[in-house]
Amino acid sequence: MPSASPDSSASAPPPKDIGGLLEQERLPAGREALLEPPVAHSQRERLLVAMAKNAADKGYGATTIADICTAAGVSRATFYELFKDKEDCFHAAMELSLADAMGIIVAAYSPDKPWATMVRDATAGFLELLASRPTFARMALIEAPASGGRSFELYASGKRVLQSLLERGRDDPVEEEAIPSSVSRAALSAAESLIVGQILSGNTARLPELLPDIVYITTVPYLGQEEALRQSREAERRQAVADR
Amino acid sequence: MVARSQRERLLDAAFDVVAEKGYGATTIADLTREAGISRTTFYEMFEDKEACFLAAYDSAVDVFVRRIAAAFEAEEGWPQRVRAGLRVLLESLAKEPRFARLALVDVGSAGPAAQRRYRAGLQRMTPFFDEGRDFAPDGRRLPANVSRMAIGAVVGLVSDEIEAGRADLLPDLLPDVLFATLVPYLGPAAAAKEVGRG
Repeated sequence: MPSASPDSSASAPPPKDIGGLLEQERLPAGREALLEPPVAHSQRERLLVAMAKNAADKGYGATTIADICTAAGVSRATFYELFKDKEDCFHAAMELSLADAMGIIVAAYSPDKPWATMVRDATAGFLELLASRPTFARMALIEAPASGGRSFELYASGKRVLQSLLERGRDDPVEEEAIPSSVSRAALSAAESLIVGQILSGNTARLPELLPDIVYITTVPYLGQEEALRQSREAERRQAVADR
Repeated sequence: MVARSQRERLLDAAFDVVAEKGYGATTIADLTREAGISRTTFYEMFEDKEACFLAAYDSAVDVFVRRIAAAFEAEEGWPQRVRAGLRVLLESLAKEPRFARLALVDVGSAGPAAQRRYRAGLQRMTPFFDEGRDFAPDGRRLPANVSRMAIGAVVGLVSDEIEAGRADLLPDLLPDVLFATLVPYLGPAAAAKEVGRG
């Protein structure tokens, strides 16, 4: 999906460490996220959970502040003490859960790992997270991109972080051909489109099954078909072992 | 005959008004005024605003897919067919930037039914991509979802340009979208070579 400056990572080389990347995008990392917790304690937490659930169920546009307050069991007056408006509440919910997604990426990242292994581990972790948190999946990948405003910017920032990690594949391409600078964006869009399609057809719980396909599409421009197919089969094999 | 032209007028109006005001702000009064039909006639044809918008969306997608298919069929060999189809896609969208934005970017905010229609529209491109599997040296080894993903890559690149306000420059994107389409089927070396054939 769109970003304000699609080629920003091409003009400014991405920092090599993940902490620098997150800082560059002003994204939080490693914080405990609160969406879909067993019990939401504070009124603020309850409102955030209610916001995310309503947006996931009937769409951000159709969600009203009254819906959120009713679901959270919180008064309208309290809502306005905590949030400026509906968008502010949605942004807070998105920010909180994005921290978790970035935590997964941080965990998969290590400068010592081969690039393809890092891509595989980060993708596997991300798909598991989406599958276990269907509310977050819908909010982050369907409602936030369509919402416009600050929540869209958060979504775009998260996407730029992933794009920078993919860009590392350019550091040592096995095949020497000139590949366009848009390949990382194209590969990310390919993966995102497949994931969103699964979510919209109600298959969120089965997202981890997409791992071999996504490993293939994200590595093939850089590694060539033979190696990308090998990486894809390896992802499938490890998954089968993990499922046993 | 009269009923048909009223319907067509209404579908055109739906597209123009929604492109102008955004889906959320569009009212049925806007639609009937723009189309020059009565409110009663509107409700004889459609249950509500959403049904009307979805019908307009479907008919516009139909026109687009037929245009692309004609360009695709006119060529020999999958890479050339894909190049011709993508060129028509980019040129058509560049000529109608409001349609481009509505069809590919704003549709996401028009509710779940519109999102499903959008996905269904994308799936109609699948046959053009699936031919790549037959053309590829050993296409059966490719992942099951390769065509879906290639379509996602093309649409992602195109949407980024529209979102950045560069819909008029879409034809310049041909080398990028062609590479993104070919690379999963042919690998980077062969894809770059095909793009270079110009």
